[in-house]
Amino acid sequence: MAEQLLDQARDIFEGQIDFEGQKLAELLVNIALSLVGALALFAGYFLQDIKLAVYLGLGGTAATFLLVVPPWPFFNKNPVKWLPVAGVAPPTNIVVDEKMFR
Amino acid sequence: MYSSVVRLQNTFGFFTTVAFVVASLVSLSDFLSARTPTVDLLKTTSLQVVKGRPHYYSSKKEEYAIIKFSLDADLSSLFTWNTKQVFVYVTAEWPSLGSQNNTNQAVIWDKIITAPSSDHLANIGPIERKRLKKSAGGKPIDPSRGKLQLKNQRYKYQITHPSGRIASQEDVVLKLHYNVQPWVGILTWNQEQTWGKWQALKGAASKKFALPALKKKDEGKKNKTTRT
Repeated sequence: MAEQLLDQARDIFEGQIDFEGQKLAELLVNIALSLVGALALFAGYFLQDIKLAVYLGLGGTAATFLLVVPPWPFFNKNPVKWLPVAGVAPPTNIVVDEKMFR
Repeated sequence: MYSSVVRLQNTFGFFTTVAFVVASLVSLSDFLSARTPTVDLLKTTSLQVVKGRPHYYSSKKEEYAIIKFSLDADLSSLFTWNTKQVFVYVTAEWPSLGSQNNTNQAVIWDKIITAPSSDHLANIGPIERKRLKKSAGGKPIDPSRGKLQLKNQRYKYQITHPSGRIASQEDVVLKLHYNVQPWVGILTWNQEQTWGKWQALKGAASKKFALPALKKKDEGKKNKTTRT
């Protein structure tokens, strides 16, 4: 019971995503942060407000973190389909702790 | 990018790159805005030389020049979005005699003009700070703070010379200087020459004047003692 809980907690903390999701995450980071930087620069320059630029930059970066860091479901749409183990017959009659497994 | 920690690290890494590039472009944007500072008037209104001691326990007597001046300058073009504060200072400068140091230069008055974006950093009390913030009227930049109009301004620092003698010094001029301190980028001072969109500060020096001779205090005292 405790081990199961620990495993679940570890899964949530690790937040693994599949290969397609990793590609998407990288693309999202590059695009989102570049856009945020450009927006902060131009908004700041044309409105002549350096504080606005700083807050836009930091806020946009925080939003990007929120978008990319948690393992959102759209990062896990293409799970790896492992092939079945070939050439070995599934074992039968395994005895563990005097219990039968089939 | 397979786990949360790796994504956190990569995102932060790219954020630092973006922040550096944006900051570089902000500092370069200074060159796009014209700087046209002018000095319309800088003249002395009263000159005095007195004897004094550098500090209370000193037995050394030195001569101090006390200079009052009027200034009319427009530095409003120095205030852009990247300006944090402008340091303005007036110096007295005079050539030296013989084989001493080439020039003598001493600050007699200075002022820090903060941009509204750095009002919270100004070294003033809470009431004055409130007044300062209010004066910007909510605008992110306030070029009108660059307009200086001083009439018969008292010196902030009394000046002397390492030799202790400054009375009757000739060919003294007052000069206005400024130092622009940006949020990002390099410090820049007033220029002698025009550079791109940044114009030289013309008329920054006052007419040459001579400091008066020392007041003869002793005679006055003698007269008083003889009278009584």
